[in-house]
Amino acid sequence: MNLFLQAQPQYNLWNAPSGTGELFLKMFIGLVIGIGLIFAFMAAPTQMRRPIVAAFTFLAGLFYVVLYFWPSPVNRGPSDLPRDFVESVSFTLEDAVNVVVPITNILSAFLLGLGIYSLFRIHFRKVVHAQKDWGFSVVLLVSMFLMIVFGYWDWLTTRGPNEILMENQANWGFANYGRDLLFNGLLQQMDAGMFSIIAFFILSAAYRAFRVRSVEATILLITALIMMLSLMGAVTYFVDSKVLGDPAPNSMLYNFTLTSVASWIKDTFQTSSLRGIDFGVGIGALAMGLRLWLSLEKQGGSN
Amino acid sequence: MLSEISSWRGAQYLDSGWLGPAFVVMLTAFILVNIRRAGKGKDLYIRRIAGLNAIDEAVGRATEMGRPVLMVPGLSDTVNAIVVQALNIFSYVSRIAARFSNPILICCYSAAIYTVGQEVIRDVYQQEGAGDKYDADSVRFISDRQFAFAAGVSGLILREKAAATFFMGEFYAESLIFAETANSIGAIQIASSTEATQTPFFIAACDYVLIGDEFYAASAYLTRQPVLVGSLVGQDWCKVAIAATFVLGALMNSIQLGPFHHKEVSEQRVDTVVQPLEQPRLMKVSDTFMYQLFNPQEDKELKIDRPQKPGAATPTAGEGGGE
Repeated sequence: MNLFLQAQPQYNLWNAPSGTGELFLKMFIGLVIGIGLIFAFMAAPTQMRRPIVAAFTFLAGLFYVVLYFWPSPVNRGPSDLPRDFVESVSFTLEDAVNVVVPITNILSAFLLGLGIYSLFRIHFRKVVHAQKDWGFSVVLLVSMFLMIVFGYWDWLTTRGPNEILMENQANWGFANYGRDLLFNGLLQQMDAGMFSIIAFFILSAAYRAFRVRSVEATILLITALIMMLSLMGAVTYFVDSKVLGDPAPNSMLYNFTLTSVASWIKDTFQTSSLRGIDFGVGIGALAMGLRLWLSLEKQGGSN
Repeated sequence: MLSEISSWRGAQYLDSGWLGPAFVVMLTAFILVNIRRAGKGKDLYIRRIAGLNAIDEAVGRATEMGRPVLMVPGLSDTVNAIVVQALNIFSYVSRIAARFSNPILICCYSAAIYTVGQEVIRDVYQQEGAGDKYDADSVRFISDRQFAFAAGVSGLILREKAAATFFMGEFYAESLIFAETANSIGAIQIASSTEATQTPFFIAACDYVLIGDEFYAASAYLTRQPVLVGSLVGQDWCKVAIAATFVLGALMNSIQLGPFHHKEVSEQRVDTVVQPLEQPRLMKVSDTFMYQLFNPQEDKELKIDRPQKPGAATPTAGEGGGE
């Protein structure tokens, strides 16, 4: 039996209908197995832990390496069968992605509890000892508690047969309105507020960066000025039409229009520089990934 | 169909082309060979990187002022190569801070980074024989929402009056919020983003910026571990290989297209089959050898005849796309 083949949208070993007891049972079994594995790892002798971690890392990485290097099937249909061994392996790898990828999410879910515990411990202690700025900690704890309660309450009311019903706001209850107020009414608006602040920060950062202090800063200032002016319709019209007299596209003067100069800067300097940086970052990530995969990297920067 | 495909292009690699995987194997070999060379004690040179030389100065300044060093390992959702690299740099910073008993703060965007970060920093303090000075609250999970995280970190920078700030890793729109907030309290800032779009913001607002692969060179530069130094030299070999590919590609395309005017062609390749044209036309870039080498298949709807599962509703060959 190909277990990976079951990882298709229909309900099978790896999933269950939303809100059913079967789903909760599978979640519980998964949780028990996960905790069991963590305790088994902790019980392992200290000198064995590094080889175990290295082996798991290698196997996890190996899957993605094989997935990348093994020829991928061209235009696979939902009811297609593999024609040969190469396609048979590629079909299995493609099906396995649906099972392997969520493992990262499961591990993250385990770790989220630790993160919330850290937040709670720091801020609860601050409130109890009435340390400096403890009022902010009260706001954080109350917000966190309310968001968790209303988030889960809303989630429970919208599971199972109610899922479609709850799409109509007329059927909403206290939990749904509460979550809507906290999430859409407050959190989203505050997110937007923080995002808007960037406009003012750009101004203050640009003011500092574009001061004429050195040759490099002056080049930066002139380049930025040309780019900004080229995006202002009224300015480009004035320079290109009134000053340069609307030159014909095949004339020499056309190369000196504001839009042409801006395009030249973007195409010649900006794009090539960004490509160069991207290549460097990509190769760096490849080298780093390789060292991690083969457990060549010693964590902690120790000499 | 597949029987018509010329075998040298590699029928199985029809979608992506065989050149990409082969090139990656070559780059990987460069890195591994150099790691081996460095492991044998070969002395390999690394150029000076100003941003990394400034780390000691920044931590020293924080110690003199009696204020904390604040670090942010980016906004990655999980512990990936970028986060590990950022934590490598932060472990070096924490090591210096531990020697001077200087407080540190590491703000984490995801619980996974928080967990790994806490282990790494605790190890650093223990290696320095300062395990008792390690504060478990120095590595904090803030929030996994972008702007809630930005607000939380900005608040910490202002309240704790950080003397030095390190922003290393994946940053997006919030990069300028961090940098400008830290600048407003006069903190010395060293930053690096793997996102090319955010690097200009850091350049405008921070004191030192590691650009592009300097971020990945940092741990080799700081620790001089043979594995890391070898890997860095391997990366340089890779860059030379890529640059050589550019030059070769430009030359080959120029020669094939014609140096002064495009040549005429009387046949063209449709996917993998060469077909005659009704009328000759000027050669396009898509007709060149280099283009076809990198793009063996253009038609994403190319039909492949495959046997169907028993009981399949419509046994249309290759139907449904290859997700």
